[in-house]
Amino acid sequence: MKKLLCFLVIILVSSMFLAACSSSNESNGKASDGDQVVIDFFHRWPNEPRKSFYDEKIAEFEKLHPNVKINVDAVLNDSYKEKIRVLVSNDDLPDVFTSWSDTFAENLVSSGRIMELNDIMAEDTEWSGNIIESQYAGFTFDDVTYGIPFTVDGKAFFYNKQIFEENNIAVPGSYGELINALDQLKEAGYETPLVEGLTNGWAISHYMGTIFDRVINYDVLLKDYNIETGEFTDPGYIRGLETFKELTTYMGDVSTAIDHETARNMFAAGEVPVLYMQFAEVKYVQDAGNVEFGFFNFPAVEDGEGRPKSLTGAPEGWMLSNNAPPEAVEFLKFLTSEETAKAFTKADGQLNAIKGGVSEETSNPESLEAYQIILDASDATPWFDNAVDVSIADIFMRGGQELATGQTTPEEIMAKVQEAAAKLRNQ
Amino acid sequence: MKLKKGNITPILFMLPTILFLGLFIYIPLIQNFYNSFFEFSVFSQSKEFVGLSKIKELFVDEVAIIALNNNVKYAIISVLLQVFFALVLAAILEDKFFRRFAPALRVIYFMPVMISISVIALLFGFVYNPQIGLLNSFLELLGIEQLAKPWLGNSTTAIYSVIAMSQWQSIGLITMLFIVSIQKIPKELYEAAEIDGAGKIRRFFSVTVPQVKEATFVNLLVTVTGSILVFNEPYILTNGGPGNSSMTLAVHMYQTGFIKDDMGYASTLASLIFLLSAVFALIQIKVSKTGKED
Repeated sequence: MKKLLCFLVIILVSSMFLAACSSSNESNGKASDGDQVVIDFFHRWPNEPRKSFYDEKIAEFEKLHPNVKINVDAVLNDSYKEKIRVLVSNDDLPDVFTSWSDTFAENLVSSGRIMELNDIMAEDTEWSGNIIESQYAGFTFDDVTYGIPFTVDGKAFFYNKQIFEENNIAVPGSYGELINALDQLKEAGYETPLVEGLTNGWAISHYMGTIFDRVINYDVLLKDYNIETGEFTDPGYIRGLETFKELTTYMGDVSTAIDHETARNMFAAGEVPVLYMQFAEVKYVQDAGNVEFGFFNFPAVEDGEGRPKSLTGAPEGWMLSNNAPPEAVEFLKFLTSEETAKAFTKADGQLNAIKGGVSEETSNPESLEAYQIILDASDATPWFDNAVDVSIADIFMRGGQELATGQTTPEEIMAKVQEAAAKLRNQ
Repeated sequence: MKLKKGNITPILFMLPTILFLGLFIYIPLIQNFYNSFFEFSVFSQSKEFVGLSKIKELFVDEVAIIALNNNVKYAIISVLLQVFFALVLAAILEDKFFRRFAPALRVIYFMPVMISISVIALLFGFVYNPQIGLLNSFLELLGIEQLAKPWLGNSTTAIYSVIAMSQWQSIGLITMLFIVSIQKIPKELYEAAEIDGAGKIRRFFSVTVPQVKEATFVNLLVTVTGSILVFNEPYILTNGGPGNSSMTLAVHMYQTGFIKDDMGYASTLASLIFLLSAVFALIQIKVSKTGKED
């Protein structure tokens, strides 16, 4: 009898443990019956000023909705990309989270765990109609919208106006002129006239995406960026990689050992005259240093077959997980309201896709200039690492590092890319 | 212990452990082997059976070869520094002459073990910084600035810089394990050796080394399997870069799974890592003909 009792107790204890383990996943499907509702919120700005901005907005929202508690988590760019993949694979997605557009969003959507927003948008057109329509495209797949665009962005060369003036250098109108300008700067004593934090794969991919768009016919790119038809056999890719390699020769030894933030600080401190940056970084540069800067788009490449004037950049936005509570939708609307957008641009300097969000009142002249460049851009090229499959992007990004350290050749990189593309086609 | 018929108490006591080991170690292990026969993605719920193709892929994967090579370098350097050098260090710390400073020195050597690896990696990111880093500044101070390098950004030095950081962190732990083991050696052995006229070095090789055989075995096992599993250090410091020059098997596995989204092949790599560490452990147990403390 004693043994039997002992046996039963052990079974009971073990099963309690197991039950505890298996129920941990169910924390997402919270009931919203007037009790406390918990919303998991995940973004990618653990740095200031944006972290504080979201912390304040969360507090504001919680005050307006006393029954809502928002759990916030934030990690930087590259880590964010990894963490969100891990979360989606475990069906442990946060209720509200940031997402890039294009393939990044498409991959998330393919998990079947992202909420469709068409009905929600149709129900409240006052809110959804106040977002610049063109920006929805990167979040819409097969006519279903899965994300609400929030920030808009573009990439351009930021240059130190004072240094350019001192050395009588004009803003380059073509790639050849850019190289001339960099040579002149080198002669003037700037050992690394151009710099980039090449430890960040995404920074390399931004360069590649733009260069390919300049030298390769757009139709070829469209075909290659599609996993079902991509071959990457156009000789333009070799030329593009050579162009990138040429640019890295102006970056010196340090570039492969630093990150983009360090590179930006070097620019802001006036040590480096030219840096390829996002408009989103205007405020960071202004806060970190005291340089007067201007920007110019990546110039046209002589006899390049691509689009000479397109602007690289894509919106980022918010997504909801399938089992997010209704309060999360409220929170999403709150995050993308005109009022939030205005406060956001004022606090952070980042441009956004909400009509009326960016104005003279909320922004500085540099940002307004950038905003106009984005709105006027002839065409937009998505971020390369979001435009192609991640296995292809990875080869280009690691290859870019190896090009800069002289460990590989453009031909070797393209051989690997073609192999990976063939594998993707056959899947 | 012999089980009497009908006496199930011992089994009942072991049951929870067996259950949990099975649930959290063995079932996932088997599942992982099983997964390596499939093509599937983080994002999709459907799996496609692809037979041995993921295992074939392993043999033509250049990155895996670089990674394996780096793991081997990691193991060799770790064994040399962490096991042999740590033993010497422990013997020195236990030497009569150093006894007075031993507590302070032990704390100093052990300190890095207690700091989280992420913090250490950030710290060393600063040490290796090409512009303001301590290492390059130090070389400049010594007047040999021509040796200064972008340590983590150079494909020849990146992996060694990562390995060096690991050694700095782990040597304290191994040293402590040796110290404990040395303290258990009976004093009489040393006294007898001294009477026989053995010097310090002779005493080290003839008394200390054979007496700490068990500890050496455990430390070798820990270090070698640790070198095969190493993930945090290269992941945080270099992410396997520049290019793939500081890639290790575990980082490659992680990136294949969660970045390149090829879970089947990531499972294959995980199986490889498991097999390698199991094989190394078995060889070491066999060679040292031991495995248990007597």
